Amino acid sequence: MPISVAHLTHVYNKGLAYETSAVKDVSFEIADGEFVCIVGHTGSGKSTLVQHLNGLLKPTSGTVSVGGVDVTAKSTSVIEVRKKIGMVFQYPEHQLFEETVFKDIAFGPSNLGLPEEEQAERVREAMALVSLPFDAFAERSPFELSGGQKRRAAIAGVLAMRPEVLILDEPTAGLDPKSHDDVLALVTGIREKTGCTIVLVSHNMEDVARLADRVFVMSGGEIVKAGTPEEVFLDGAFLEGIGLALPQARAFAEKLSQNGAAIEAGRVLTREALVDAVAGLGARR
Amino acid sequence: MIRDITIGQYYPGYSLVHRLDTRLKIILTFGYMVSIFLAADFLAYLLVFIGLAVVIAKSQVPLRFILRGLRPIFIIIAFTFVLNLFMTQGEVLVTLGPLHITQAGLYNACYMALRIIFLIIGCSLLTFTTKPVKLTDGIEALLKPFVRFGVPAHELAMMMTIALRFIPTLLEETDKIMKAQQARGADFETGSIFRRAKNMVPIFIPLIVGAFRMAADLAMAMEARCYRGGEGRTKMHEFRFGRKDTAAAAVFVVYLLLIVAERAVHAQAWLLATL
Repeated sequence: MPISVAHLTHVYNKGLAYETSAVKDVSFEIADGEFVCIVGHTGSGKSTLVQHLNGLLKPTSGTVSVGGVDVTAKSTSVIEVRKKIGMVFQYPEHQLFEETVFKDIAFGPSNLGLPEEEQAERVREAMALVSLPFDAFAERSPFELSGGQKRRAAIAGVLAMRPEVLILDEPTAGLDPKSHDDVLALVTGIREKTGCTIVLVSHNMEDVARLADRVFVMSGGEIVKAGTPEEVFLDGAFLEGIGLALPQARAFAEKLSQNGAAIEAGRVLTREALVDAVAGLGARR
Repeated sequence: MIRDITIGQYYPGYSLVHRLDTRLKIILTFGYMVSIFLAADFLAYLLVFIGLAVVIAKSQVPLRFILRGLRPIFIIIAFTFVLNLFMTQGEVLVTLGPLHITQAGLYNACYMALRIIFLIIGCSLLTFTTKPVKLTDGIEALLKPFVRFGVPAHELAMMMTIALRFIPTLLEETDKIMKAQQARGADFETGSIFRRAKNMVPIFIPLIVGAFRMAADLAMAMEARCYRGGEGRTKMHEFRFGRKDTAAAAVFVVYLLLIVAERAVHAQAWLLATL
């Protein structure tokens, strides 16, 4: 489902002494099925921006349209918008509230007014997508799960809405490396299985370099750079200037090439690419 | 609506009232409340009003800000007024169907409504001109003499400080959870009152779970820094009872004496009248 944002501005506490513009005149297009990453340091407006995509925040000015439907228009049904656009917040496990994992995941579908069989089917499907075995987890309390399991259960709660666009706000924050990889693997898995458009907000440049079709770099409420990971990670000094960094593999390759190694640093973004490049050096020698 | 409640808020400033010793301000606020209850007629209320007006003028808190604080309790004031207006026996002034407005009723209605307004404004002036942290420090200092009788003064003050500290955090958390549940199609704005109350469950449970988590984290962080209560603890801001405090106390004593004298005269007049 394509997303189109035009001249979006959001001002918090308008008219008060502590008025702040979190997002300033942002415009972009996201194609159907695209995987977009949004990066930026804390307070750069990423979270505010993505909350506009499913109508949780109303813009001070500008328009947001998803699949040709104007999200910001008064006549648009909010529930229709939220059905199509799933949003996983930071620390989504903090929203768990039901007695069992099953009931919690069914919260979304029941709000959509679906019949019980359909709800159960969706819960099964969502739990399969996040690799929580239905029989082992459905009847357990969400509060007794481990951190990584809780997060997967919470993400399943959003997937049960069968969104066509999935927005994830730092879905791996505070997880151990294994859970981190699990969550990202399930995001890519969901994309392969459902073909949905994905918007991922992240601080982790390695993940961004590996996963994104396109990257938006935000600073001070504006998109200061947009392009493929190769294009965005070309200028390390610029990124450092706005509180970000290059992916480690890219930085390492750059150091090697500065020291005379025959590596085209601009094309090395991931660990795998770095390994290949270094192996290539050895073979040449 | 939440923003309208100015009771308990702090209005930044550097006026004489802001700079008074917090301990004195707390005592004077209590004294002022006592004086409101001592005031027996409208002449005494004139004194109460003048006292309040002087403090408001000296505090430099805008009158609009103060009056906004009355808005949320307007219903209570109106209810008190109406109830007293119609429910008091006496000489009938006006008859509205089955209801009678008596002279005593009118008198009582005004009297009680004014009493509530004076009480609220008097108390809010304390918080308008005192930072919450200073206020809890002041309460701690005032409770200190009672420590030997087993009053946990420091602990009470610390609890208040922590409670105040967590208000904005919990508001933020509520906002976040609401949005997360709305993203899953939850609806908090429509339906009957019971339906809406039931719809709040997905907010309250995560909120309470979160509050316990934050409390446990805070306790851990305090213990990690060897927190062990108030014993031997020094303060960054010490209270100093200065000349302006003595002056303020003196003015208040004169005010209180006037109220008491007025009451004595009032009582004498009433006695003479009944005899």
